[in-house]
Amino acid sequence: MAPVIEKMTSRERTMAALAGEPVDRPPVCTPTNVATVELMDLVDAPFPEANRDAEMNARLAATAYTELGFDTIAPYFSIIQESSALGCDMQWEQKDNWPTVRMSNPIWKSSSDVKIPSDFLEHKDTRAITDSIRILKQEFGDEVAIVGKTMGPWTLAYHVFGVEPFLLGTVDDPAETMKSLEALKAITILYGQAQIDAGADVLTIPDHATGDLVSGEYYRRFLMEMHQEIEEELDVPLMLHICGATVDRMPYIAQTGMAAFHFDSKNDPVEAMAAVDGKIRLVGNINNPTTLYARGPEEVRSEVNAALDAGVQLIAPECAIPLKTKLENLLEIPTAIEDWVAERGQN
Amino acid sequence: MPITHEGLAREFEFVTNPGEQKHISEAIDGTAPIMQEMAYELIVGNNADVDRLTQEALTEGFTANQVLDDGLLNGMAIVGVKFRDNLIFVPEVLVAARAMKAGMTHIEPILSASGAEPAGTVVMGTVKGDLHDIGKNLCIMMLRGAGFVVHDIGVDSSPEDFIDAAEEHEAEVVGMSALLTTTMPNMGRTIATFEDMGMRDEVRIMVGGAPVTQDFADEMGADAYGDNAVDAVDKAKDLVKLLAELKSS
Repeated sequence: MAPVIEKMTSRERTMAALAGEPVDRPPVCTPTNVATVELMDLVDAPFPEANRDAEMNARLAATAYTELGFDTIAPYFSIIQESSALGCDMQWEQKDNWPTVRMSNPIWKSSSDVKIPSDFLEHKDTRAITDSIRILKQEFGDEVAIVGKTMGPWTLAYHVFGVEPFLLGTVDDPAETMKSLEALKAITILYGQAQIDAGADVLTIPDHATGDLVSGEYYRRFLMEMHQEIEEELDVPLMLHICGATVDRMPYIAQTGMAAFHFDSKNDPVEAMAAVDGKIRLVGNINNPTTLYARGPEEVRSEVNAALDAGVQLIAPECAIPLKTKLENLLEIPTAIEDWVAERGQN
Repeated sequence: MPITHEGLAREFEFVTNPGEQKHISEAIDGTAPIMQEMAYELIVGNNADVDRLTQEALTEGFTANQVLDDGLLNGMAIVGVKFRDNLIFVPEVLVAARAMKAGMTHIEPILSASGAEPAGTVVMGTVKGDLHDIGKNLCIMMLRGAGFVVHDIGVDSSPEDFIDAAEEHEAEVVGMSALLTTTMPNMGRTIATFEDMGMRDEVRIMVGGAPVTQDFADEMGADAYGDNAVDAVDKAKDLVKLLAELKSS
C-alpha cells in the first residue's frame, strides 16, 4: 500500500504534479485565467485597468487562491500584453469584455519587420505583469505557485501580421513563415525570462496552433522544434496551451520536453491521456462556455470527475473563462477534487 | 459522363459519403472541361489560374451562372467536404477562398445586374468583443455564392448592431460568429436583446464558429448551428423556408 502523502501547500502540490511526482491531491490550476466580474467587484479591480496596473492586477489575480481555493495564481489574464508593447492596435474594452488586438490592422508584413523595442520590458503593459508577479511573490511567498505567461511565436504572429495574412503565408512561403516565427520566438523567451526573474514559478506558453485552424502536421512542421528550444531556454516548468481539438498533435507536443499541456474540452480526456502516453502531464479540461458559464455545479463536478478518472494530473478550466462565469461553478472545482480523493484515495 | 479532369477526379475521391458523392458527381458530370479545370484549380488554391479561366469562360460564351455553379461552387463543395473531414485546414481553405474571390470578381457584377431573385437576406457579424473574421468571411462568401444577399456588419458587433442591421435590411436570417470561448456568451445576449426588442419572431438566428457546438447553440436559444461554411448555407436555406412557413401560417 502506498504511503499517505501529507497535506501539501498549493505551491508544493502544483510543482510536484508538474514534475510527475506524487501529490496529496491533484491541484486546481490556472494556466490561463479565472478572473470574473464578480471577483473584480469584490476586490475593486475591474477590467481593463486590472490588465494594466500592477497593484490592481495582483489584487484580482490573488482571488484565484484566496477566494476560489485554486492552487495557482496567474496574473497575466489575457494574451495581449506583449502585443501592446510591440505597438499593436489595441482594444482595451470594458469591465465585462476581454481586451484584444485589432488584428485587422497588423503592424508588420514580413520577418524583416520584426523588431523588439529596446524598452519592451519597461512598457506599461509588460511591466504590469512582472511587477504584479513581484507583489504576489512578496505577499504569498512559497505558499502558492505563481504562474506567469509568455505568448508563443505562433500567437504573436497572429497579432502582428494578422491571422489571415499569416495563415496564407504558411502556404505561400513556408520558409518566410519559419523566419518570422524564429524572430518572434526571441520575444517569447525575453518576456518569459523577465517573469522568471520577477519570481514566476511556472510559465504558460499559449501558442494557438489549434486544430480549429491548422493540422497536427503543421504543428510538427512549424512549431515542435521551436517549442523544444523555448523549453531549453526557460528554466521553470512550462505549460503549453493550445485551444480546440489537439489530440492529433499531442504526440508531437509530448516530445517538446515541456512539463504539461493545457488542453481543451473538445478532446476526450481518456483519448488525450493515451495520445501523450505519459510523456507530458495534462492540465484541463473543464468546458467553459457550456459548463462553467451556462450550467451548474453538478455538471462541473461531473467533468472534474471525468478528467480525474482519466488520469489528468492538474485540473483547470479549458481556457480563459467568460467574465460572467458564476463563482459557485468555479468553487465547485476544488470541492469536487477533494471529494474525488476522499472517495478514491490519492492514487 | 464521368469527371474527365484528372486532378478533379483525384480530388473527388476525398468525397466518401454516398449522398455527397451522388450530389457532387451529378453537379460535375457533364460540365465543360474548362469548368472542371476551374473547379480543380480552385480546390488547390491557384488563384491566378482561376482568374484566367473565369475570364476565358466568359469570353467563350459561358454565362456567369454557369461559371459560378459548374466551376467555382463545384470546387468549393469539395473544399467544404475536405475541411469538414479534417483533410484540410484553414490555410488551405483560405487559399481556395482567395481563388474563389478571384473568379467572383469577374462574375459578381454580371450576377448583380441580372436582377435574379435572391435566395434570402442575411445579416452576418462577429459578436461583441471578438475581432476574428475568417470564419464569418468564409460563410459570407459561400452564402453569396449560393445566391443570398449578405450584409456584413463586421467584427465586434453589439446586439444593437445586429438588430439595427436586421431592421434596416429586412433580413430573414441573422448569423453570428465567435472564435473565443470568452465571447461566445455574447451570442446569447444578442438573442435575448432580439427578444427584449420584440423582434425574435421576425428573424431566424444561426450561430457558428470554431468553439461553438450544437449544445451551446441550443443553450443560447439559436434556431440553427452551422458546423462550417457549407453547412451554414444549408442552414440558411432551411431557416428562410421555415420563416416563410411561419409567417404564412
